[in-house]
Amino acid sequence: MKRLTTIFVVLVLAMLLSLPVMASVPGELLIWSDGERAPILTEVAKRFVIEYGITVRIQELPFGDIRDNLAIVAPTGEGPDIIVGAHDWLGQLVTDGLIEPIDVADESQFLASGLEAFTWGGQRYGIPYAIEAIGLIYNKDIAGEDGFQTFEEMIELGMKLRDEGKYAVVLPQPDPYHTFPFFSILGGYVFGMDADGVLNPLDVGLANDGAVEGFELFEYLMDERIMGRATPYDTMMSLFQNGNAAAMITGPWAFNDVRSAGVNYGFQQIPSYKGQYGRPFLGAQGFMMSAFSENKMLANLFLNEFVATKETMLAIYEGDPRPTAFLPAADIINQDPDMRGVMESAGEGIPMPAIPAMNAVWTAWSDALELVINEQSAPRPAIENAVQLIIQTIKDSGY
Amino acid sequence: MGKIIKGGFLAIINVVFIWIALYLLSAQAYLVFALLLLGALLTNFIFILPKGYPYRYLLPAAFFMVLLVVYPIMYTVYISVTNYGTGNILNKEQVIAQFESKYVLEPSSEGYSFQAYRDSQDRLWMLFTDSEGRQMVGHDGELTPVQAGDPLLGQLDGFTELNRVDLVRATNELSAQSFAYDDLHELRMRNINAFSLYLQQYRYDVASDRLTDLQTGTVYEPIDGYFQAPDGTRLTPGFRAVIGFDNFRRLLGNPQITGPFVSVFIWTIQWALLSVATTFVVGLFLAILLNDPHMRLRKVYRSLLILPYAIPAFISALIWRGLFNTELGVINQILRATVGSSVPWLQDPFWAKVALIILNLWLGFPYMMIICLGALQSINAEMYEAALVDGATSWQQFRHITLPLLMVSVGPLLVSSFSFNFNNFSVIYLLTRGRPPIVGAQTPAGHTDILISYTYRLAFESGRGIDYGLASAVTLVIFLITGAITFFNFRFTGALEDVNKNV
Repeated sequence: MKRLTTIFVVLVLAMLLSLPVMASVPGELLIWSDGERAPILTEVAKRFVIEYGITVRIQELPFGDIRDNLAIVAPTGEGPDIIVGAHDWLGQLVTDGLIEPIDVADESQFLASGLEAFTWGGQRYGIPYAIEAIGLIYNKDIAGEDGFQTFEEMIELGMKLRDEGKYAVVLPQPDPYHTFPFFSILGGYVFGMDADGVLNPLDVGLANDGAVEGFELFEYLMDERIMGRATPYDTMMSLFQNGNAAAMITGPWAFNDVRSAGVNYGFQQIPSYKGQYGRPFLGAQGFMMSAFSENKMLANLFLNEFVATKETMLAIYEGDPRPTAFLPAADIINQDPDMRGVMESAGEGIPMPAIPAMNAVWTAWSDALELVINEQSAPRPAIENAVQLIIQTIKDSGY
Repeated sequence: MGKIIKGGFLAIINVVFIWIALYLLSAQAYLVFALLLLGALLTNFIFILPKGYPYRYLLPAAFFMVLLVVYPIMYTVYISVTNYGTGNILNKEQVIAQFESKYVLEPSSEGYSFQAYRDSQDRLWMLFTDSEGRQMVGHDGELTPVQAGDPLLGQLDGFTELNRVDLVRATNELSAQSFAYDDLHELRMRNINAFSLYLQQYRYDVASDRLTDLQTGTVYEPIDGYFQAPDGTRLTPGFRAVIGFDNFRRLLGNPQITGPFVSVFIWTIQWALLSVATTFVVGLFLAILLNDPHMRLRKVYRSLLILPYAIPAFISALIWRGLFNTELGVINQILRATVGSSVPWLQDPFWAKVALIILNLWLGFPYMMIICLGALQSINAEMYEAALVDGATSWQQFRHITLPLLMVSVGPLLVSSFSFNFNNFSVIYLLTRGRPPIVGAQTPAGHTDILISYTYRLAFESGRGIDYGLASAVTLVIFLITGAITFFNFRFTGALEDVNKNV
């Protein structure tokens, strides 16, 4: 029996020592990062250790899991100090009480729209490192060197292309994110602003006259076979790669696929219609700070002095090329024509609303698009019903 | 030897118990901890006392059933009467702590630069200097204004001044410092270079359970998971609170939600029935073919036919999604080349349903084939000989011998397959996501939504963000429906009755 007791004690000790301790600890920083940013942060962390002798640990998570895991783990006191994330998480994370405002030491170093995207109730909640927006990727061999300045030009070319069984333009369908420029082009919007600069979830502008007219343009392009119908992202991509579409509406994430297909391409902002430009959603990625961090001051210091530097921001860009939100690095990064194009498109962009009510918008909006794409409804009744539904859903959930 | 194995086994189990228990304690999950403790005690009791011997297999099973089945159900019931979801994630104590630690920067105040010193007992002394050069010494929460030549300054010179690296290493200590500047203001750390004057924004009074905004004087009262002012404004974040049957009321009393419910419910039943029927018919047919001893290469066919079952359903579903693609999918390309027209597989309500049934047939027939093969082999060959002697046709043999005997063993599996498909979220979600949408529906609902995918939409695509409370309520309603259906299924098919009664 004595031997048994010994085994037992040894096992218990082994287990106790191997208890997982990946939690925010006072005096040490823990960062949750996605795979693309993790190796760069690991390098930055090494410099932090050398300078101040303070350990920074990087834990790698899939980008999309960071937000949901924070909601589960942070309240138990086991979460990180800093997370990598997207600006449209802000609404949920702030109303959940999971993130804390950050003191941005030098705001003039950042692109205003990037900082604005990370602002909630007048306070900065993130240090942006990249921005993104969709635009028009065009095939120079079909659409010409300069692409399309207007939708009118596009329609003209499309009338010729359709006889060869080709499209002038394709975009992922049904996908509200990529279709938003059609709604915004003549004055549609998702949520209106209150006088005090806060989004009003009960003012939905997706069915105003401008939005409906833009939606009718969308339908017209499909009916005339100028634009592909019911094309999911992969279909869109292969139509473009094979030269069966002169242009596609999508974002910087498509560059790699386009290059690998050897298409002679260019990137431009969404063309104008009746003299007005289609405005895409603007997205921003950045670093945020957990409200349950035990090292808030330290986390602020790390972000302001070690992450918001030209060196780190360029390394982040090289790991995953996206237009930067950090101005000292922009001169170098914007020498790339693709990045410059995305920056120009983002300049027209409207930050994608970050309020949780956005959840209700996506589904109903996407359903409305689908009804029009499937020719089961005309644009106006489809989007009017969707807006009614959105407002009802938002009201039901207690606004 | 046996004793050593037994003891070692028990030791390992206990170690696992302790490991889980420590984790649960640190996560403050006391209820589960209590359950675990009970299980651990029972386990030890059974192993050590001879009296517990007969329960050695029964009790662990019961224990795990409680832990893995009963407890989650109870927890779902609990969540369904709370407001747990976006905006109400934290508990009340955490929310109060957050409000109490909120400080507002005094706008008129300029920052104070600082130097920090440590005396021989390692205590912190601070020297603050404002923009006009006026100085204050801070120690132990108190501030003392000092002039040049003050003895206090001389005293500081005797201490060790912290350099920048020391300051950074001491940030947590420094940011915990707070000095009373006057009745309202506190001097607190703003960043590594400066301290500033702050006002505390809220104070919580435990006795009255009220939160007071010190700036405006507004008193907030905790109502339904939010601190609420008399005029109805709510502070965010809210906290988790029991709100009674509100979620059920929202679910059942709202025509918006119950509207598409009927059509969704009907399709759910159709879907489950058709899935079972098609897979069973095809599976049985193949099983009978493969059961024929005259067939050559039976084993090869059998292995090939089991393949769809061996490939993960997620992969197959995504491949089929590609095959059904209206524009570029292989199926439509073949149709266009042969028949001359194509089918809007995922856009038309009817064809989307057909596509789903085809996909589920592909995924499900090997399972039915396997169980039918096993059941066929257990049928006594003498019965067929007797039938032959009686001059029965092969249809009659199938109808009166094969099918009834098969149903004895396969029947219960059909019922469980029905229940499984009733909640077969992944196939629906991966192929159609419940689309195409119903025209003019009052909630986001699609023609191919089954109850569980409809629930998912209600819970995770609601106006509020994530709504675990409502989702739990819907889950319970579905649980009742599936439970009732399964019960009647078993009852009326007699699937659980004595085997020989069916013959």
